[in-house]
Amino acid sequence: MTALGDVLHLLFTANLWQATLAAAVLLLLPALGGVISERSGVVNIAMEGMMLTGAFFGVVADLAWHNVWLATGVAILAGGLMGTIHAVVSIQFRADQIVSGIAINIFAGGLTVFLVNRIYGLQDVGHVGQSELLPYINIPVLDQIPFFGKVLFQQNVVVYAALVLLVLTHVVLFRTRLGLRIRAVGEHPQAADTAGINVFMLRYGAVITSGLLSGLAGAFLAIGVSNTFVPGMTDGRGYIALAAMIFGKWTPFGAFIACLIFGLGEAIYANNSIIHISPYLLSMLPYLITLIVLAGLVGRSTPPAADGLPYVPGSE
Amino acid sequence: MPVGSVILAFVLGAVIVAVTGGNPFAAYSGLLCGGTGLGCQGGENPALQISTTIVYVIPLITTGVAVALPFRAGLFNIGAEGQMIAGMMACTAIGVRFSSLPAPVLLPMVLVGGMAAGALWAGVAGVLKATVGAHEVVTTIMLNYVAQWLLRYLIIGGPLQVAPGTSKSLPIGAGARLATILPADNSLIIFGLPASVYRVHTGLLLALAAAALFAFLLWRTSLGYEIRAVGQSQRAARYAGVSVARTIIVTMLIAGAFSGFAGAIQIAGVDHNLSDVYFTDTTGFDAIAVALLGLGSAVGIVLAAILFGALHAGGAVMQADAGISGSLVFVLQALILFSIAANFVGQIRRLIPGLGRPAALPPELPPAAPLMTEAADPPPEPA
Amino acid sequence: MSDTTPLAVDMRGITKQFPGVLANNHVDFSVRHGEIHALVGENGAGKSTLMNILYGLVHPDSGEIVINGKPAHIGEPRDAISLGIGMVHQHFMLIPVFSVGENIMLGREPVTGPDLYDHAHARAAINDLTKRYGLALDPDARMGDLPVGLQQRAEIVKVLYRGANYLVLDEPTGVLTPQETKELFVVLRDLVKAGKTIIFISHKLKEVLDISDRITVMRRGRVVGHLITKDTNEEEIATLMVGREVLLRVDKKPANPGAVVLTVENLAATSDRGVPALKGISFELRQGEILGVAGVEGNGQSELMEVIAGTRHASGGRVLLGDRDITTYDARTERDAGVAFIPEDRRGTGLVLSFSIAENSILGRERAPTFSWRQFVLRLVAIREWARKLVKEFDIRTPSIDVAARNLSGGNQQKVIVAREMGSQPKVLLAAQPTRGVDIGAIEFIHRQIVKERDGGAAVLLVSAELDEVRSLSDRIAVMYEGRIVSIEPPDTPEERLGLLMTGGGAQKGAA
Repeated sequence: MTALGDVLHLLFTANLWQATLAAAVLLLLPALGGVISERSGVVNIAMEGMMLTGAFFGVVADLAWHNVWLATGVAILAGGLMGTIHAVVSIQFRADQIVSGIAINIFAGGLTVFLVNRIYGLQDVGHVGQSELLPYINIPVLDQIPFFGKVLFQQNVVVYAALVLLVLTHVVLFRTRLGLRIRAVGEHPQAADTAGINVFMLRYGAVITSGLLSGLAGAFLAIGVSNTFVPGMTDGRGYIALAAMIFGKWTPFGAFIACLIFGLGEAIYANNSIIHISPYLLSMLPYLITLIVLAGLVGRSTPPAADGLPYVPGSE
Repeated sequence: MPVGSVILAFVLGAVIVAVTGGNPFAAYSGLLCGGTGLGCQGGENPALQISTTIVYVIPLITTGVAVALPFRAGLFNIGAEGQMIAGMMACTAIGVRFSSLPAPVLLPMVLVGGMAAGALWAGVAGVLKATVGAHEVVTTIMLNYVAQWLLRYLIIGGPLQVAPGTSKSLPIGAGARLATILPADNSLIIFGLPASVYRVHTGLLLALAAAALFAFLLWRTSLGYEIRAVGQSQRAARYAGVSVARTIIVTMLIAGAFSGFAGAIQIAGVDHNLSDVYFTDTTGFDAIAVALLGLGSAVGIVLAAILFGALHAGGAVMQADAGISGSLVFVLQALILFSIAANFVGQIRRLIPGLGRPAALPPELPPAAPLMTEAADPPPEPA
Repeated sequence: MSDTTPLAVDMRGITKQFPGVLANNHVDFSVRHGEIHALVGENGAGKSTLMNILYGLVHPDSGEIVINGKPAHIGEPRDAISLGIGMVHQHFMLIPVFSVGENIMLGREPVTGPDLYDHAHARAAINDLTKRYGLALDPDARMGDLPVGLQQRAEIVKVLYRGANYLVLDEPTGVLTPQETKELFVVLRDLVKAGKTIIFISHKLKEVLDISDRITVMRRGRVVGHLITKDTNEEEIATLMVGREVLLRVDKKPANPGAVVLTVENLAATSDRGVPALKGISFELRQGEILGVAGVEGNGQSELMEVIAGTRHASGGRVLLGDRDITTYDARTERDAGVAFIPEDRRGTGLVLSFSIAENSILGRERAPTFSWRQFVLRLVAIREWARKLVKEFDIRTPSIDVAARNLSGGNQQKVIVAREMGSQPKVLLAAQPTRGVDIGAIEFIHRQIVKERDGGAAVLLVSAELDEVRSLSDRIAVMYEGRIVSIEPPDTPEERLGLLMTGGGAQKGAA
């Protein structure tokens, strides 16, 4: 069985695509956050750190209170807190947004390990019991559809939530007044300001939202897909989500398509015992795919016009 | 101002430690001991601590330069880690393959090989940026992961593995090793330990030379002038006849060469082989903080490298003596970054972080719209 | 005009200090209902600051504002808007990727349901407004696709939609063709008939005399004159603006043109937006003459300069320097060959603002043998000497050559560029908008320098949107319209004829 043959065989199994969708959702949530944040004009590369923070606090809360819903709430808020830090540093202090984003990621990485040490000593973080993880829900009737039933309707509750959020984000950004203002602020903040729109509030809201979404992704990762916290467990997903956002031209559905592609790569890797290639080479797959995808975008993508520029009122 | 940032970070760090039930004084004294050999309470040998710090500092200087140079061109090189690992892999591969060659041949070979590998690693990102406009933050980070997985592949079950079941590579030839500054003589006792324990190697001189070369390149050459022009104003650079795309590529190649050089020096001077020690290495990321704290100047980078090298060496002692995770060092690093970033207000970067072919002017307003009125108009009201 | 009716806008004792600059110094400014009032002054006189204060973008240090008889506190644009003040900015506050409707509605969007943007309502409201004031606009058109005149119209509808009664227009005609300016003036007069009051900021004296009822002149932060338009003239206003007799024409000897030094044959090029900008330009330029290119901005002049200078690719045709074909030369090679270029965007293109004067003095020539050894190592001593020389010869006001360019005044910034380009003793000097946004003293100086270059044997190609500048400097005038040279005229050709040619009419030479 050649490796390529293995892969092709795999592509026809529903299991693979079920895993693809789940992996895609782990990328989609931070990607949506990135879209919202950058549409408002704030560059956000801190999704990695916000997700990791959400994952950590989700596990801690679940182990402490044995309530997965409460824990997920904590995870979301933890992500939101990191987002708030990025927002304050970038918007209020007009710091360079990329440096701030990287600082958040380093901060999250260091803080989580430091707290693991403080709370659990030098042992591992404990494992969350099966019943206290985010549940998988089979939607009755629909889940019996051959092939698609397994892929679409036998998923974790977070996957359904993410798909709803996907549609919601699209509608809000492109159909509502709020979305119009968010986009205005990202394209031409002076115009929005002179039209009486509060540039700062909208940007804060957008960045904090990206934190909340990343926190939810962290919860899915730590107390949904897995059952514990491992340092650095986000593995670059936050950065891949960035690439997805760029590939999707800063639109929710566009990003989703990119997330599916990356998710496919991850799902294939998860089956590496079936495919006979060194697991280490396979691990490169998501990152190489990202590079190829980015290389293929021949200057077509343009971000919002004011993306990354701190807004100074009264300047031209 | 950078000093203020560091102090602020330490204060906040102490607060974090105290709030989570730790003892900040114990933590910081552990850091101090491990970093500088002062105030050691656990019986550590001060000279050894200093030596360990210097070993950490050496790659930080060169990778700091590797991050600082592209900054000047308006590029964020987050890929110093991957480029350094590429340099390490090349150095080891060459050092193993040609291990029988004598030192005057082999040593330059491994060092140049490391530089070439690093340049290649960064060059990919540079070319993608220059041709397609792919954002270098994302591409360099992706390349980091590729490098790390390639490293694992090579020494776990792969071609460079020394023996099955280990995660180490074969050692490089003796000719590829950088001499230590102190003779590797067990009979010579310095500060209570045999001289061979001190691993400070001549790579230190190479690293300092690299920093000097960086400063010379940036301020004393036409290339450095053009790099700075591109970083400050692509339009002015184009007006001057500078090819922005070419400058971006050249800058990344040089930066990658610096990182690769750091990797090669590390292997040639310290480990003499690849091992799983580098699976969790963070030098390339620390380099970002080094470059920023050092304000992009050669002297600043060296000083910042000393600070972060000391912090890392200190982390191990802090963990052993005060029971506080060495990861606190990353927390401090991030706090320093925040502190600096909030003061710098986009001075470092002038480019809009987005895509678009470098050669095209962004048509925001219709061509007939007037340009900004001249500077005699009052400046914007300070916030 | 009865004195018991309250003034529409009354600003009293306005003072505003910025770091290093007293922008407004006890300014009194009042506007009557239903008039078109011109606020006139040089760049830096303080007129924009005053209006930004009126609109709430800037807070005065002292003074008060009374709108229609009632004292007003204007803390932010929202306050100004609610008082009926609407501002049409010099740099449009429009979002190119949004539609006309979305731009106009921004901040006051009609909604249905749970915050859904109501397209239909917006369309109806805009059509209603545009009919009422005679301003035709398509609500669904993409703003970035519209010509500048229509974009400005959208800005006006924007303020009308918010119920503006007092409209402030900041330098509105800088971007318009003469035809569009005429249309704008018709619109303004109609708005006044409909009961609106208009404040018109400008430094274009002819237009001010054409459209306004009264004029307030500012200079260096103070009000220096209140004039009634029908009783005054250009010279009086200019003198007030500058404070002394203004030389509106340049003294120069007649030209003595020599050999042909630059030949342009059938040059074609595309603009940044992919549209053809040059459609076959041909002319000859001789040593010792100034050829001025007149035309409204956007007719290909920028692209012409860029192609000749080597910063833009030609899609057809040739450029010859003497016998050499330099069409494909890049900017650096052109410079080495003796073609110097003063670009129209001094802050974005001609200078690196964060570089010092010394560093800017070699921009484009950093690899020349005088400034670098083996094209690589910079000769710092030689560079500094060169910079000092330029500063002295061109009277650049600066404490040292290490001052960053961004800290210089606009006039001095332009002088750095002019000094650098002229200092290299070029064979051909390309000067694009060389005195835009520069104060009068520096304008006179730069004009003298350009003439001096000509007298020294250089061939000068001058592009300017200021017709007066072109007429007073040039030995011959080429009029450009839509990417072609329509005609080459002598410098004393009447303005009306030039204006006609600039807008595409009257291409027969010598027609009265």
